[in-house]
Amino acid sequence: MATHDNDKQHLSGLFEVGAERLKLIGDNAKVLMQGYLTGGIDPAAVNERTLRRLISARVLYQPDDSHELKLRHPVTQLIAALVTDESRRAIHADIADKLVAIRGFVEGLREAQRMGDSLRVDSQMLRIDEAVYDLTAQFEEAIYSLWHRLNSNFGFVSNLSDKIRENERAQQQIKRLIDGMSLIDFDELIELAEGHPTLRKILVSRLQQQMSAHHGSLLEVQKRLVELMTRFREQQERSLLVLNMAGFLREHPGFMVGDYSYRSQVPALVNHAAPIVPAAAVGLDKNEQLSDVTALVHALYQELALKRKTDSVSVSADALQGSVQSSAQQQAVEARQQQLKEDAMRYFIHVCEAPEPPSALAFLAAEELQWPPEVWLFQVLGEYNALPRHEQKLFTITRDERRISTFNHVHIIEDLAVRFQAA
Amino acid sequence: MSTSSHMSVHGPLIELLLAGQFICAITNEEFFAKLQRDDVRESIDDYLKPLNRRVASNDDNSVYFLAYRDIDDPAREHLKQQLAVVMSSLLPLLEWLTYVQEAMGSDGILTAGDTLKLQELVVKTEDNPSLRQRLQNLASDKFFGSSADSVDAQAKQVAKRLVEHGYLQQPHSSRLYFTVTGKIDYLLELVRFIKDEENIPLDDYQNSQAQTELL
Repeated sequence: MATHDNDKQHLSGLFEVGAERLKLIGDNAKVLMQGYLTGGIDPAAVNERTLRRLISARVLYQPDDSHELKLRHPVTQLIAALVTDESRRAIHADIADKLVAIRGFVEGLREAQRMGDSLRVDSQMLRIDEAVYDLTAQFEEAIYSLWHRLNSNFGFVSNLSDKIRENERAQQQIKRLIDGMSLIDFDELIELAEGHPTLRKILVSRLQQQMSAHHGSLLEVQKRLVELMTRFREQQERSLLVLNMAGFLREHPGFMVGDYSYRSQVPALVNHAAPIVPAAAVGLDKNEQLSDVTALVHALYQELALKRKTDSVSVSADALQGSVQSSAQQQAVEARQQQLKEDAMRYFIHVCEAPEPPSALAFLAAEELQWPPEVWLFQVLGEYNALPRHEQKLFTITRDERRISTFNHVHIIEDLAVRFQAA
Repeated sequence: MSTSSHMSVHGPLIELLLAGQFICAITNEEFFAKLQRDDVRESIDDYLKPLNRRVASNDDNSVYFLAYRDIDDPAREHLKQQLAVVMSSLLPLLEWLTYVQEAMGSDGILTAGDTLKLQELVVKTEDNPSLRQRLQNLASDKFFGSSADSVDAQAKQVAKRLVEHGYLQQPHSSRLYFTVTGKIDYLLELVRFIKDEENIPLDDYQNSQAQTELL
């Protein structure tokens, strides 16, 4: 019975001390975090009594050669795990020791059973449960940390070569974890749990299930780490290539490559052909396309009219350009517009040269041009208006107009006659 | 399907190729997907035969462009001159790549599909005299041709030239962010090829950047 009282006392003592020391850590959270980040704590920053308590609680220690105080390893590890600081977090792959502990607890359990000490049986059972939990939690924690490092792309180190080293380290950790897993001998555990259903459940079925899940996760992380490593190496290769080639070219300003294009086998990368721009102009020689051309010119006419209108109300030209996208169709329209303009210019030149110049429509007919009359007249008028003022003075333009209604002043231009008058 | 009906489908794609453009998943996703198909490339090749052109790609098929089918003398002369032009722009391009990598603190050299935010680059450069000097040096190279004094104007001019040469694409003309095209990867493949072909001992230059910085 005395043992049970001792146990109870022991547990309540643990509770008291544990709660007190956790509170001590909490009360000095900022100082400890500062120490975690900077690597040391200046004794002057903490009052002497607190300092003594932190040292006796094994939270801090003072290395012989240092004035500064440092966090003890388990405290550093606690913080690293709490803030998932992968640069500091250590992974323990020591499985063998935990298996020895489990074996010991099972022996203790058997012993207590033989002696009929049911309370000790319960407490041993609890310890076995905890030891197995510790074992799986160790893998869980390691896998969590590995995924975290992977998903953050090893962002906790700043340059690529450090990332490559960290990735290598992570791969070695996985290897050790998998090696450690192989130490778990389920045949032995089945033997240990012989005749004890609860023990069998904890030591065999549950552990096996969890280990196989962890094993799968580790293989997956390993695969992803290898993929990431390949990418790191490619990036490193590219960076070095660019950096070194730039360095080489800087130091050899006159560097010339070989005559790759005169080799019998021209390297594929160099063979990039000269551009060919497919140019096209409207063909007026195909009668069967005439109706299409006419339709296009009509569309053009409307567009020009629209443009005039928008120009006069000073809508921004950009907006119009935006709506009239440069496409193949647009290029065809432009080609026709160019032809129309050239024909109109020919009329002006003809007017200058001919003794008895024809009217615009007469020229259209005589030259057998295919433009619809109204488009033609509009273009001639447009050309005249577009001339510089001093050139405009050299021509007179006469409109043959007809009023279309007696109720308003809209006139239709029937024809135009341009006359050249030498200055 | 007859060749002519194929062509009416691929007309705009063929025009881009004929104009000498590099087509990748970034410049035109739809055309790139077409070019990945063997039947499409074959029909375009057939169509371009009289023009002495065929569809070519880089090693990892991430960029397509037109190559000469038969390399005659005029073709050789064109390729020679073209390579000379590329070589003359190589150093400023490589310097720009290392400058961006350093300014943005990134793990790798820019690669197809990466996004470049010009404003971010400008801010980081303005804060750092060494980066400012590097941008100034490369922007004034005749390939980039900037005579501006401000970091902002230099960065814009450099980006503009890179868009003109097809290394960057600007998805929205009003916004200053750019996407890196597959032509950068083509350029790096060319650099790798030249390194191997000319036996350039690049390991000697491993630390030359650091040395230049120190000097």
